[in-house]
Amino acid sequence: MQASEAKAIEVTDLTVAYQEQPVLWDVDLDVPPGVLLSIVGPNGAGKTTLIKAILGLVRPAAGNVLIYDKPYEAQRRMVGYVPQRGTVDWDFPTNVLDVVMMGRYGALGWMRRPGKQERELAMQALEKVGMEAYTTRQISQLSGGQQQRVFLARALVQDATVYLMDEPFQGVDATTERAIVTLLQELREKGKTVVVVHHDLQTVTDYFDWVMLLNIRRIASGPVAETFTPENLRTTYGGRVAFITK
Amino acid sequence: MIVAIGAALLGAVSGTLGTYAVLRRQSLLGDAISHAALPGIAIAFLLTGSKTPLILVLGAAVAGWLGTLFILSIVRLTRIKYDSALGIILSTFFGFGLVLHTLIQRTGNANQAGLDTFLFGQAATILESDVLTIGILGGIAIVIMLVFWKELKLLVFDEGFAASLGLPIRALDILLTSLLVIAIVLGLQAVGAVLMSAMLVAPAVAARQWTDKLSVMMLLAAGFGALAGVGGTIISSSASRIPTGPTIVLCATVVVGFSIVLAPNRGLLWNRLRYQRNKRNLKMLGGQLFQSEEQ
Repeated sequence: MQASEAKAIEVTDLTVAYQEQPVLWDVDLDVPPGVLLSIVGPNGAGKTTLIKAILGLVRPAAGNVLIYDKPYEAQRRMVGYVPQRGTVDWDFPTNVLDVVMMGRYGALGWMRRPGKQERELAMQALEKVGMEAYTTRQISQLSGGQQQRVFLARALVQDATVYLMDEPFQGVDATTERAIVTLLQELREKGKTVVVVHHDLQTVTDYFDWVMLLNIRRIASGPVAETFTPENLRTTYGGRVAFITK
Repeated sequence: MIVAIGAALLGAVSGTLGTYAVLRRQSLLGDAISHAALPGIAIAFLLTGSKTPLILVLGAAVAGWLGTLFILSIVRLTRIKYDSALGIILSTFFGFGLVLHTLIQRTGNANQAGLDTFLFGQAATILESDVLTIGILGGIAIVIMLVFWKELKLLVFDEGFAASLGLPIRALDILLTSLLVIAIVLGLQAVGAVLMSAMLVAPAVAARQWTDKLSVMMLLAAGFGALAGVGGTIISSSASRIPTGPTIVLCATVVVGFSIVLAPNRGLLWNRLRYQRNKRNLKMLGGQLFQSEEQ
């Protein structure tokens, strides 16, 4: 056994159950620093739950999660989160810049209002996602892809080391998808670890270097070339997937 | 004059805190809290024999808070849905309150006259001491809300993200609900348990029509609430024996109706005009295209 460097994310024996049926069963996952990992699996496989369990948003029945060798509570500042776009009310009375600045609330702490510095960070993040022209736009007037980019910008201002993203490609057009992928790959080049819940099996090999196949249990995880095999996919999707390997 | 000041303060406080209730889609929680507060008033009176507003308000707050706690626990621990839990607690507490009030009336306690104003509200009974209670408690509630402004805003907009940042969302949720309870019990005497929720919902709904900014929405809601409070009080006190609660609520309804129809951007009239204009423009465009094809 080799003594490995610190893992960015280390999930051990994680089991989560909402009612009697387990949503995640005895899941292990090791994510090394600096990889771009996608979690794929059928509907109801527990992908979102896994992300939420890593973030401490759902309480596991058993198991353990470490971020760089420490529990999440101790490493919050290192983690950025992009929730599913549909989980918030986009008719909330606020604008784009304000939402992005929410990413600084954790670092700001109690009682302090966001100021000039937060505004500048938010502007930089909006430029990175190509939304700098929309700062004062009311959020209900954004398209799906624009909403997604606002959420990405909010995660960027968290200035995290590990990013967890729940379906950032859902309902976005091809151009936005490419822009997001480029952004994710830039994050990886900077040594960040990015974990993405993903649905489109066709693009896994193009976009990501690591993959985790999940269906309540972990089927496999590792570098795409070794892990993203027809056998593993059949196990994950129960043989219902007609997948053509390139 | 005292009465009008009291009603204005009340409208402002409930409008401000009602903004969050509306944005969280908890409009009906306010209704449940105000109904659930009724037995608290009766019990506070039975225990102390006093009609001091602070004591009755305290009783109302405890009962309203207990009711809310029951609703949230039912939703969390059983598979009963939110609206059913709301219905169960609202009617149970309210029924219990009515029983207690009838009992108090039967005892023939000369002191009891006035307790039933908590049902439909009677702003005329507002004294200087009540205005002081409303001003101080309402002021405290609003200051607390301002202190935790960004945390509460994030909680209401995106609870999951707030939790991931390490904000204690359970505690913030309890805090926000408690502030709502304060706003409600302060209004019981003037507006009454039956209609109090309208004082939370109506000003906020009207305010949302006019602005896309949370702070402006809250200020507007406070203003609309105060306006409805003063308007309702004046109308109800000019004619004898009109209960104030319904009058205030009707005033608030007028503001809501006006806002829904006339507000720019979100207003119905505005929508209609925009639709017509777009249709006309598209028709002209369509005609040109058609002509150019013919040529």
